[in-house]
Amino acid sequence: MLFPTISFAVFFAVVFPITWGLNSRNTWKKWFLVAASYYFYAFWRVEFTVLLAASSVGNYLVALLLGALPDGRARRLVLWLAVAANLSVLGFFKYWDFFAAQLINLAGVFGVVGNVPFVEVALPVAISFLTFHALSYIIDVYDRTLKPTTSLVDILLYISFFPHLIAGPIVRAAKFLAQTTHASYQSDVRLAASVFLIVGGLFKKVIIANYLSTDFVDGVFRAPADYSSLDLLLGMYAYAIQIYCDFSAYTDIAIGVANLLGYQFPQNFNQPYRALSVQDFWRRWHITLSTWLRDYLYIRLGGNRGGRIRTYVNVMITMLLGGLWHGASWNFVLWGGLHGAALVVERAFGWTGAPRTRLGAALAWVVTFHFVCLTWVFFRSPSNEATYAYFTTLFSGASWSTTMTPLVASVLVLGALTQVLPTRWFEALETRYDAGSLAFKVALPFAVIFLISVAAPSGIAPFIYFQF
Amino acid sequence: MGNGEHSEVNRGQGGLRPARTAAIIIYATFALLILTIPQSLPNWLRDMEESPVQQVLLHAASGVEAAAQAVGLDVPYRRARAAFHAWSGKEDD
Repeated sequence: MLFPTISFAVFFAVVFPITWGLNSRNTWKKWFLVAASYYFYAFWRVEFTVLLAASSVGNYLVALLLGALPDGRARRLVLWLAVAANLSVLGFFKYWDFFAAQLINLAGVFGVVGNVPFVEVALPVAISFLTFHALSYIIDVYDRTLKPTTSLVDILLYISFFPHLIAGPIVRAAKFLAQTTHASYQSDVRLAASVFLIVGGLFKKVIIANYLSTDFVDGVFRAPADYSSLDLLLGMYAYAIQIYCDFSAYTDIAIGVANLLGYQFPQNFNQPYRALSVQDFWRRWHITLSTWLRDYLYIRLGGNRGGRIRTYVNVMITMLLGGLWHGASWNFVLWGGLHGAALVVERAFGWTGAPRTRLGAALAWVVTFHFVCLTWVFFRSPSNEATYAYFTTLFSGASWSTTMTPLVASVLVLGALTQVLPTRWFEALETRYDAGSLAFKVALPFAVIFLISVAAPSGIAPFIYFQF
Repeated sequence: MGNGEHSEVNRGQGGLRPARTAAIIIYATFALLILTIPQSLPNWLRDMEESPVQQVLLHAASGVEAAAQAVGLDVPYRRARAAFHAWSGKEDD
């Protein structure tokens, strides 16, 4: 069930009043939201709801055990086993075939005929986000920064809550559980923010991401040799805007929907293409993933506490695994490695602070933006051969004509505006909307969704981050 | 990647409004969309698996569609869509 569909609108139209109707009965409300979330998840494949339930119950029991055990070897062993179990499920579904293929290739190098079976099972939607949520909970309980909850429904809801279930944002257990344990502490919602996030998200996904994808980006990445150098340059920029509008649209709508149900999620994007360094980019892009990787991987590897070289190694490990998390492909590993290398170079040369002059800032922006765009080519290309073909044609300068249509050029400009316009303008609009009459509050979202429908393509492509 | 705190920007921290107001906005918006783009709901229902409930809902949605078309509520959408197609060169599948 995709957010920008009538199916989801009908689903939400049913869930919303029942949730608020049960507001004075918090436990019932949570069980209802768990049932709604499992129904939402079952839309993809009903059998994977068993995996969702097993993961939730398993991690609930592990957390109770971690809470009861005294500090020591046994407790550490329980944590490691639980982390291994979570990662094994993720690894089996997401990486088994990839590693099997690598093992067979490696064996072939030494003249051995490998015989590792491929499982070829469907990847359960949301398995990566589900694993991140589960690990966040048990690691925080292990660290004793969070008490294990005895309420099973709280954990079932934390892991399955439908707004964040499929593609985030990754909500920390402590922040979410604090909202579930308060019994109906509020009956108000952040209305203006929710409306702007949902309507803005619909616009970014349905108009910008969809048209960029179907009318330009898919073609240039499918057969780069058939396009001009200018097309490939524009294709690179267009994909940068497409992936931002696609992914940020999902999390914006998720945050808005959760807000309307009385739950708050952290923001996941902050105009990432304004970044003046790669470090700055990662503070603005998929913020909940980068903070998760920082807290649960980078710092646990030692962070910057082991000297300069050790810090660089930790950065590289974190970014390589962050790349691999996006998918079982060397392209993603390479993408993560390039970002890791850039972060190391920035640290080594002290380029992490804000430039002092306007010229320095402009130069830093140009370099950072183009580094991010060039690395997106590795991320988007279906194989290393395709990446090579893309760059070969791009830098050949063979032809400078373009197949980009006025429609695609228009949505590319609109997408770029999401990065250029100051956030205070959007905040001012929200404030005006919030102060408006009830009729105005209805008319604005109606008018925008009506116009989105007028210009919408016939079908809606799945969100890019669903595959991760 | 650093040990320092990331700043998590949260837009619209203020502006708390009763859930009742949100409900009015949500359902009024849905109602206006159903009336001004009246073919959308019947089309969606036709794609669903046939069942007694689906048939009842389809019958009701088709009634709304017919009523909206009779008073011309669908005209702005059809004209705007045609103008967009003329400008963009796009067509409905």
